[in-house]
Amino acid sequence: MNLADDRIGVRVDGVSKRYSHRVKGEHYAARDVRLVVAPGEFLTLLGPSGCGKTTTLRVVAGFEHPDAGRVYFGDQDVTGVPANRRDIGFVFQNYALFPHLSVSDNVAYGLSVRGQPLGTIAKSVGDVLALVGLAGYEQQFPGQLSGGEQQRVALARAIVIRPRVLLFDEPLSNLDAKLRVTMRQEIRELQQRLAITTIYVTHDQEEAMAVSDRIAVMNEGSVVQEGSAQDLYLRPASEFVARFVGRVNLVPARIVAVESDVVAVDALGIVMRVPPGTQRFAAGDRVSLLLRPEAIAIEGDAGAGPIRGTVVSHAFLGEKIDYLVRCGDTLLQVVRYNAGQVQVVADGAAVSLRPALDAATLLAGAPR
Amino acid sequence: MSCATSPHRDPAIAATAFALWALLALFVLYPLAMLMGRVLFDHGSLSTAGIVTVLTDRHQVQAFWNSLLLAALVGLAGTALGFMFAFTAARARLPRGLLTAMDASVLLPLVSPPFTTAIAMIFSFGPRGLITYHVLGLKGVTVYGLPSTLFSEVLTYFPIAYLTLRPLIAGIDSNIEGMALSLGASRWRVFRTVTLPLCIPGLANAFLLLFAASLADFATPLILGGNQFPVLPTQAYLQITGLYDLRGGAALSFALLVPALVVFVLQRYWVSRRFYVTITGKGAGQTPFDSVSNAMRTALLAACLAVALVIAYFYALLLYASLVVALGANHALTLQHYRVIFTDGLKAIRDTLIIAGLAMPLGGLYGILVGYLVTKKKFIGRRSMELVSMINYALPGTIVGIAYLIAFNDPPIELTGTALIIVACYIFRYGPTGIRATVALLQQIDKSLEEASAGLGAGSGTTFRRITLPLIVPAFFAGLSIVFIRSMTAISATIFLVSVGWTLITVKILENITELSLGPAAAFSVLVVVIVFVVMAAIARLMRVFRAPGAMPVTSLLGG
Repeated sequence: MNLADDRIGVRVDGVSKRYSHRVKGEHYAARDVRLVVAPGEFLTLLGPSGCGKTTTLRVVAGFEHPDAGRVYFGDQDVTGVPANRRDIGFVFQNYALFPHLSVSDNVAYGLSVRGQPLGTIAKSVGDVLALVGLAGYEQQFPGQLSGGEQQRVALARAIVIRPRVLLFDEPLSNLDAKLRVTMRQEIRELQQRLAITTIYVTHDQEEAMAVSDRIAVMNEGSVVQEGSAQDLYLRPASEFVARFVGRVNLVPARIVAVESDVVAVDALGIVMRVPPGTQRFAAGDRVSLLLRPEAIAIEGDAGAGPIRGTVVSHAFLGEKIDYLVRCGDTLLQVVRYNAGQVQVVADGAAVSLRPALDAATLLAGAPR
Repeated sequence: MSCATSPHRDPAIAATAFALWALLALFVLYPLAMLMGRVLFDHGSLSTAGIVTVLTDRHQVQAFWNSLLLAALVGLAGTALGFMFAFTAARARLPRGLLTAMDASVLLPLVSPPFTTAIAMIFSFGPRGLITYHVLGLKGVTVYGLPSTLFSEVLTYFPIAYLTLRPLIAGIDSNIEGMALSLGASRWRVFRTVTLPLCIPGLANAFLLLFAASLADFATPLILGGNQFPVLPTQAYLQITGLYDLRGGAALSFALLVPALVVFVLQRYWVSRRFYVTITGKGAGQTPFDSVSNAMRTALLAACLAVALVIAYFYALLLYASLVVALGANHALTLQHYRVIFTDGLKAIRDTLIIAGLAMPLGGLYGILVGYLVTKKKFIGRRSMELVSMINYALPGTIVGIAYLIAFNDPPIELTGTALIIVACYIFRYGPTGIRATVALLQQIDKSLEEASAGLGAGSGTTFRRITLPLIVPAFFAGLSIVFIRSMTAISATIFLVSVGWTLITVKILENITELSLGPAAAFSVLVVVIVFVVMAAIARLMRVFRAPGAMPVTSLLGG
């Protein structure tokens, strides 16, 4: 089932979609969205609910017609092509399995609509059910299956037609936490094996980071940043992305001096020297210093860390301990990972903190 | 379905919508307009003189108030009785067998011809009644009047309240009651402060449904009302058939229109929107909380059993009356009444079966077509189609019958004397149940199913045929069952539409009663109940074959 030869990319070119809302009035669900998905690439649209990711996906599928903009599959403009002529595989959040058809009839549906001979259909259905680990389930009905099994049927039904583009709309949100992790690995492996161009929608940043080649973060109808999981985590372009992808401390800071390869900032009562990042700053600018909780080392009172603080609260989570530490007016989240013996610092204890400054970033403007 | 926002139009949809509009215009709007015209115009000029005479007549004014009084009392008593049954069924932890038996006895009145309880009342409490004369030895009692009409209508219609209230009570999450109990409330206090308030919209709904049913009831007051207790539907009928005053009859039926419409609008657009969200979900009830004490449970059960026994007694009496020479006088067993109905009455039986057989599939089809169009398609006049399709259903049968009589008696559209007029009356009067079943089912079918089909390459026709249609088949069968049952048992509208060429069993029963041949009337009634049960069983079997495994079931629609 390797489709490598006829892989195509997807281009979303300035798509906008307006809705009239009873409270908010006329508003944009998607606003001038531009995306390029390379052939065989796995792109995830990540964002909070209402950010326009599902609308964008449904426009790509052909379930919604954009008010403006075009959608291309390869070189073909499919904007006016109805969903049933786009050759897509769509996996719905609620799976949308046909309740009156057996597992094999569900999977066979797309093939039989395409008028394939029965023998071919039976073979393809058998193959794809084996592929998703559901051999032997042919005669079951959707109502008899567990959530994870239904998810696999939905997946099999979408890929059996050898779609040009595979689309997922929050496919794992109805599964429990452990199954979610297993299924996302399976989806990723399957996509790699089949090499189908894929767009995947989720609000779960960890899921997005686990499955994607590339992630497009959306907010209020627009794409705010695109990049690999590492790019987004280490070099967020905005406070929104910084806060949405992973946990973060945003500390108010002021630029003291700008040098060629390092910027000196005044934050938490000391001067720190951090990498300049992509933005340009001048001395005296108000900025936000971005420190990830795991990039701050926490030591007892006797430690030599440059920042002094007091533990406000802590939570022992097994592989790590979360601390909330007060430094002057600022509350900092600090994570300490366990490697063997751990010494839990008690609430109210004085501590010293040492930020790993090469992992810190600066964003323009004071934190909101 | 093509996506709701995609711009292209479907010519098949447009043609179907157009055809349905033409039929609705002809069989719903046109007769109603003709009825209004007849009431308001006299020989081409606006005139109210004739109507005012009829409507200000002391006797008719009395009939109007009687109608409202009877409807209100039936509404109150029937709702109370229905609530008791529903509460017992949902909360008294009944064994399965007992529950089924209770259901069966309660549903009997809903599938019977309209005179059955009335005939049984006469047999029991009439001048030579089994109970009044033979058991109690009373002489010269009269069974006619408000009390017996009320009693008979409550027994006939309380199942409607039962059917609408039972899922409601069963749907109340019993954890809510358990919570109240754990906060220290007594069972009675929990019932009074939690259960009952949650049921109030349902009770109001049931009251209005019963009010409407009683307001429209023609058969029971005709037999049991007598001279002391005239009501509007019977007065309109007598004005037309007795005094040959079509205009006066139309005016009387018109007086019925106002309360009927008020009740319909209240029920559909006010009460039905006030159901609490908490009770629309499915009941958590795996471990139902003990909401009734054992003593209360016994009391409830005894009360329900007593009512069920009365119903069973009435039907047993009817069967017995059909098998003896003359109940109350000569109790020798005979099949003579059945011989009569299968010779003299054979034409009525054949006509009724033909008409019901025609109306059944057409009414079922009409139900799913309109239901599908108004839920899933966008076209001009969609909302008004939904409303117009409900009119004949909401109006009392007397109004519809008189309107048809006026509209189709003369050219340009002369249908009087044909089977078509009766068939059309049944389709447009009882098809709406199928519409509502279809709408309810379609609203449960997630939009994503049709999108999934489209995404897999199916066109809108294929999607309808292979996905949507199999899932609304239960609504089709539910709709056609109702049309069949009502075609076998209704009389209020069609009594105006029968002719020498086409007559109905129910009309024959009425003729027999007025001629005091109660034996054949009982035999006819038994026959109708048997036919309805046999056909229902056949449809249920068919449904098991046709019902797709994953399709959602339709809740009982007999409740209106």
